[in-house]
Amino acid sequence: MIAQIACFALNGLEGVPVQVETDVNKGMPSYEMVGLPDTAVKESKERVRSAIKNSGMLFPISKITVNLAPADIRKEGAVFDLAVAISLLKASEQLVGAAVEDIVFLGELALNGDLRAVNGVLPLIISAKARGYKKFIIPCANAAEARYLGGAEIYPAATLLDVVKHLLGIERIEPLETAQFVPHSSGKNTADLKYVKGQPVARRAIEIAVAGGHNLLMVGPPGTGKTMLARCLPTIMPDLTFEEALEITKIHSVAGVLSEEGIVSERPFRTPHHTATTVSMCGGGNRIVHPGEISLAHGGVLFLDELPEYKRSTLEALRQPLEDGTITVSRAGGTFTYPARFMLCASMNPCPCGNYGSANLTCSCSAGEIRRYRKKVSGPLLDRIDLQVEVDNISYDALSSQATEEESSSVRERVNEARRIQRCRFEESAHKTNAEMGEREMRSFCSLSKECDDILRSAFERMHLSARARSRIIKVARTIADLDACEYIQPKHIFEAVSYRLYDKMG
Amino acid sequence: MYDAEEQALIWLCACTDLDDRARVLLLRAAKSPKKLFDAFETYLSSVIKEGKYRAGTRTERERARDEFLDTLSERGYFAVTLLSDDYPAALRAIPDPPLVLFGMGNRSLLGGRKFCIVGSRLTPSYAERQGERIAAQLSARFVIVTGLAEGGDSAAVRGALPSGNIICVLPHGLDGCYPATQASLKRAVAQNGLLLSEYPSAEPVRKHHFYARNRILAGLSEGMLMISAGQRSGVSITANFALEYGRDVFAFPYQIGAAQGVGCNEYIKKGAFLCTEAEDILSHYGIQLPKAQPVDLSAEEAAALAALREEGQMHLAELAQRLGRQIHEIAPLMAALEIKGLAVKSGGNRYSAL
Repeated sequence: MIAQIACFALNGLEGVPVQVETDVNKGMPSYEMVGLPDTAVKESKERVRSAIKNSGMLFPISKITVNLAPADIRKEGAVFDLAVAISLLKASEQLVGAAVEDIVFLGELALNGDLRAVNGVLPLIISAKARGYKKFIIPCANAAEARYLGGAEIYPAATLLDVVKHLLGIERIEPLETAQFVPHSSGKNTADLKYVKGQPVARRAIEIAVAGGHNLLMVGPPGTGKTMLARCLPTIMPDLTFEEALEITKIHSVAGVLSEEGIVSERPFRTPHHTATTVSMCGGGNRIVHPGEISLAHGGVLFLDELPEYKRSTLEALRQPLEDGTITVSRAGGTFTYPARFMLCASMNPCPCGNYGSANLTCSCSAGEIRRYRKKVSGPLLDRIDLQVEVDNISYDALSSQATEEESSSVRERVNEARRIQRCRFEESAHKTNAEMGEREMRSFCSLSKECDDILRSAFERMHLSARARSRIIKVARTIADLDACEYIQPKHIFEAVSYRLYDKMG
Repeated sequence: MYDAEEQALIWLCACTDLDDRARVLLLRAAKSPKKLFDAFETYLSSVIKEGKYRAGTRTERERARDEFLDTLSERGYFAVTLLSDDYPAALRAIPDPPLVLFGMGNRSLLGGRKFCIVGSRLTPSYAERQGERIAAQLSARFVIVTGLAEGGDSAAVRGALPSGNIICVLPHGLDGCYPATQASLKRAVAQNGLLLSEYPSAEPVRKHHFYARNRILAGLSEGMLMISAGQRSGVSITANFALEYGRDVFAFPYQIGAAQGVGCNEYIKKGAFLCTEAEDILSHYGIQLPKAQPVDLSAEEAAALAALREEGQMHLAELAQRLGRQIHEIAPLMAALEIKGLAVKSGGNRYSAL
């Protein structure tokens, strides 16, 4: 007899339908698996055999052929185990009367019949729903991420036996109740701006950066709190919407880095070490193409500590995703596009010894060393970093009279307001923030008065700013004006934006 | 273009690998460069005993000379010899003037009044900015003489470049550029000002060339300004030459113990003139420049500037506290002052008045 069971395979962030067909026939006992399975899928034969036996059911001693259709897609991983087991049971007439045709089975089997979690359940269910499937049986361990999806009956099962009992109607499994998405529900982000001592200049800069979606570079000696400030970035970013959270969760689910909570409720904060390879940063892999750090940072912050220590090729690879918000990775196994719209925050020392420009410490670097150090970060990359700010090591005890440190939540209110203004502005275009503006938008939304234009011109002459700084300054000035709730850019906004062009002046 | 004597002198400097001492001895023995050229073997064997150098035949010498002169004109370089009329008189007066100077750019600058402005490579940014401003003001009356290094020298070049009154003396042949990052500045000087070198075009940079170059910087100029000088800086070497040649030495004052200004303070102690603005130098030479237009300042900018002047250097947070403002209200003020050339960022979010 032949059985057909629906399953889904991952292809990037999408699920593709795979039919598991099993034929149990008379003949020499054998067990063949066809349809371009990879090693992990082929090995499922043994897992399925043991799981069925150890669940107290019969493994048919006949000629068994399992086919994974369509045969032209390469199938990877253990996600098909459950579907293969069910189709075998069905084909050997152990599931008489059970309706299995409209159910999608996902899950890996243990030898004792337990169901184990698999990666990418969320994107698989989303794709299956789009194709009209309404019922899913998934491992209990994946229930957390699936419970946020409404409009489907999702049954979490602990063992193969539970699944069989459910299908035969002996003991029904309760479908998952749809959970309500609450941003910041995990509360695991312990960083808050109120714990950052001093650094009023950098505080202001990160507020502007988040408000306008600008990328940020912090320059300062070691131990001045650059990392601490960066960790506060997610805490002042606007709350995730459900759609955003779902998109981020899809990526994290495929990468297998989801937390217990199941859905990503806080903006990601990724800090790849500077030894990271280009592949780990952008995504890749032999046949399975994993999303890289920049995709995991989608919707959140990618923090590159000690920017000049990263390999140059790795940094250059960030340029295109910084422009497009997506990364396309091509491998032998196929071409995959992952979203990668993140806020880049980088930190570096002013020179190899870290004391350049310090008030009380002497820098021991030669001019050539400093130049070489700074040259490690290419101009085109810097060009995409709108705000460059110094983090200094001044002792703030002396200034304690005004040392009431503001909380992240009140900064976030101002950021939300500025974002609201931007949403109105970009209602008719695909952009969300000022940083994404192109030349055309700048012309219509950032018209400069004669006074502002004169200021910009004299700033260029006086401060030897590079030509590429111009549009960056105007965009940042637009964001500062938004924070100020001003309709037009005023001279003071231009002035402040100019003061964040540190690297251009460093040369 | 060059007469026979000059040609012989250029050949002596560019086509033989003798050292300067040998060249001078040979010239002294032969009385004139042309005689030396004609009978080089004779003089060589009589003056230089070891016989390390090969004289070559006269035709070989002529070919080498003509080839060199051809490449010189091909590349747009010119040569000024001790025998030329426009060889700078002040330089001629030093004990060991270069026999030939190769140049590129505006030759007429050799005739002007010259003032040297130099600084070390690690010059603090406010001193750079101030040096640049002084170079700009002085260049109305003087041709500014300096090197092409980063830091202080570049500041002087940037200041004087718009007026075109700029001479850069290089420690290598005119072909090269050291450091390579200064190539665009070198091009700009060749276009608007003058590049000088005592070395043939292809000569690479060598350690001892810096020392020899510094004597030309001091020798060309009536006086010099030290923008910055560390403990062992080339700037101090130039200042030594200037004192030796009887030229005026001016220096920026520095805070006690400031590493980038130890040399400057040392020279002020020894009697160099303390200089904080162009006026100090101009009045020394009895020159008066028309008063500059006062800059328009808003009341807030003026208050911030006054506070900065009082303290010398202030952190943005300190300024904000002093003026009772928020940081983000102060940052635009400082950028405005910076654009107006009255303040400069000196690292670590601190600002200095100029």
